[in-house]
Amino acid sequence: MSRFLVKRLAGAFVVLVLVSLMSFAIIWLVPGDPTAAFLDTSATPDQVARLRQQLGLDRPIAMQMLDWYARIVQGDLGHSILLNRSVTAAILERLPVTLSLAGLALAFALVMGVLAGIVAAVHHNRWPDQLVMSLALFGLSVPDFWLGIMLILLFAVKLGLFPTGGYVPFSEDPFGWAGTIIMPALTLAIIQVGFVARMTRASMLEILNQDFIRTADAKGLKRAEIMLRHGLPNALIPILTVGGIVAGALLGGAVIIEQVYSIPGVGRLIIGGILSRDYPVIQGGLLFLAVIYLTVNLVVDILYAVADPRVRLE
Amino acid sequence: MKRWFGFGTTALGAAVLLTASGSVLAQTKGGDVVIAITQAPPSLDAQVTSAQAARNVTLQIYETLYARDENAKPVPELSEEAKISADGKTYVFPIRKGVKFHNGKELDAKDVVASLERYRKVGASASLLSAIDKVTETGPHEVTVTLKDVQSTFLDNLSSPRAPIAIYPAEEAAKPANQINYIGTGPFRFVEYKPDSHVKIARYDGYVPNPKATGRDGLAGKKEVFLDTVTFRFMPEAGARSAAFEAGEVQLLETVEGATAKRLESDKRYVVYKVLPFAFQVIKFNHAQPPTNDVNFRLAVQAALDMEEIMAISYPDINQIDGAWLYPGAPFYTKTGTEKYNQADLNAAKALLAKSGYKGEKLTFIVDNLRANTDTATVVQQRLKDIGVNVELSVADWPTVSKIGFTPNGWQFWAHGYGIEPYEGPASVMAPWVNGTSQLKKDDKIDSLSAALNSAMDEGKRKEIFVEFQKHMYDNAVAMKAGNYGLFQVGTAKLKNFKPYRIPRMWGVWLEP
Repeated sequence: MSRFLVKRLAGAFVVLVLVSLMSFAIIWLVPGDPTAAFLDTSATPDQVARLRQQLGLDRPIAMQMLDWYARIVQGDLGHSILLNRSVTAAILERLPVTLSLAGLALAFALVMGVLAGIVAAVHHNRWPDQLVMSLALFGLSVPDFWLGIMLILLFAVKLGLFPTGGYVPFSEDPFGWAGTIIMPALTLAIIQVGFVARMTRASMLEILNQDFIRTADAKGLKRAEIMLRHGLPNALIPILTVGGIVAGALLGGAVIIEQVYSIPGVGRLIIGGILSRDYPVIQGGLLFLAVIYLTVNLVVDILYAVADPRVRLE
Repeated sequence: MKRWFGFGTTALGAAVLLTASGSVLAQTKGGDVVIAITQAPPSLDAQVTSAQAARNVTLQIYETLYARDENAKPVPELSEEAKISADGKTYVFPIRKGVKFHNGKELDAKDVVASLERYRKVGASASLLSAIDKVTETGPHEVTVTLKDVQSTFLDNLSSPRAPIAIYPAEEAAKPANQINYIGTGPFRFVEYKPDSHVKIARYDGYVPNPKATGRDGLAGKKEVFLDTVTFRFMPEAGARSAAFEAGEVQLLETVEGATAKRLESDKRYVVYKVLPFAFQVIKFNHAQPPTNDVNFRLAVQAALDMEEIMAISYPDINQIDGAWLYPGAPFYTKTGTEKYNQADLNAAKALLAKSGYKGEKLTFIVDNLRANTDTATVVQQRLKDIGVNVELSVADWPTVSKIGFTPNGWQFWAHGYGIEPYEGPASVMAPWVNGTSQLKKDDKIDSLSAALNSAMDEGKRKEIFVEFQKHMYDNAVAMKAGNYGLFQVGTAKLKNFKPYRIPRMWGVWLEP
């Protein structure tokens, strides 16, 4: 186990170095800099040059890169040009927002997806299966930003059940938090529900055709017991893999959903950083998301062993 | 064209009636108005940014020595007046007494000196004060500014709202850019800034209005606040903004697309406002690259374009066909010299093109992804195809385009708006073309006209200079003005006495229960 962990951590380190290099290089290859956010088109070259100097953008790229690496080894992601605060602080402020959004969306996706998958597998080739699979296909096909706007129009504007956007921290008002987070989480989850449902159905169908399930059936066990005690646990490994992928996809999808619902999360921070060329925010934000993604995948690998003792992590 | 001016007159009449009726309506104190704005201000340190998103908020918090009135004329605000010496080089500003900052401290000359000195160092438009030789405290409530040379536009510059020369308490003015506490003398005080979410400001009950002001007047005048608080919510997604408005969470939309404005117009719960003109649509040429370095080529393009077509497609229902390089109603506004505007003459264009060195090569039109700008580029592309000019569009986000557009390579055409410059006046309209900043090649004529405008104290002479500039722009097709465009704003009908302006002024308005 420890050898496995060391190997995985070493691999993660290499990935992080690559992500940091790429995020730095891409930013410097794309034209534009943060002065565009501060100044208008009438700014003279002198004004632009002076602002660049104030922001430290006039130094050689190699120097800026060395500074950036020197800082990240100390756990410092740099200082946001536009927010005028440390990138770490800016991310940590927004992290609970994004985690609660992605976490709730993951819960929705797994619970709804697994249930729908089981229903489809149990009623294989009958109307519930076709209905679930059609809905799953719809969920997979519909663009999340469009769905978000439609849900806002229906549930917020027409029915007035939820606010149209914004965010209330859980610590301030748990009901307010639920009101602001449920609809965005559901929007974010819809695509993944379809994905999880299809995966669960396929996995369950494979398991349900195995000999041990036929034996359990022959023994006279109840259908529900067969499904939950023998079918689902054995179908869990592929679902876990999907869960890891879904968690990553939800973090990525949160970027769009946070825009649509005006939620002040990490995704919106990064989008704002990109649009205004706030380099430290983009670099720090991407690195941070990479760390989360790698961590989720590591946890999923470890969970394999928990779900199936036959899996040897070494 | 007539239709537009007709509508403008009606709208103006309606606005006057609205304002007049507002004064007899019962004013309600209290309430929070939420304004949906498209992007967060890059800073609330007013001096260091010239972004519109920042002005919307900062001009409610801070004030300046001089400010612009309703017709954009500089009038005293924190200063009682300006005593100008006979040689035009010394300005004495008696500072208003009894004005309180939001921290309770009284404004004095030290604050003014420190603020002006700070602006000269870190101001986003520090060149506005480049004529200053020294700023001296000549009394507890008196500041004297000495200029190096005569500058006829000094009060224009001092009152520019672009990156406002805001007056801060001296202790704040001693701090570097973006490090200040947001303390001003304005009618609203800063409450909180939640990144990616909102800025909240509240009525400052200790506000001391300008005793000489009688009513709401541009960015100066009487600033009476009835609202308790104003929240600027940053909502980048247009659909989410209008949904929040229709759900009653937002009371004013800073800008909406024409289709949304039309849809909401018929609903009595809402009022649609037109802020027209708000900006010019300008198509720029890169004079550092062939063939746009060739005056005949530029004149050919100028002759070919149909500005009515461009404006009708780019800004449907909210444009004015007007070739003057100032807004109608501005003191220096004139149509003299604009005869070559909106020719839409393909034959003349082809004749001019034949005289140019253009050989059919592919040209690049850079444009940002704002719909109206890409529409402008597309219409120009199609129109120029008719005279045999091959144009390719290169669309990217604003930081990318604005970076490329100030380099001599990689583009021939670039379209975007100019909003604040024409509002500020002739010197600001000329400034982008001085030293070849925007066209990327020095134009001696423009440089000398700009210098002459800045030093001429006689208004008649300055008007003549501006006419000459306008004529030069058309005779040489330095750049092309397509027309004026505006913004649609939508407010709840409960928001009373709101009058659209360059920023959503929240003084003088109230919310009905």
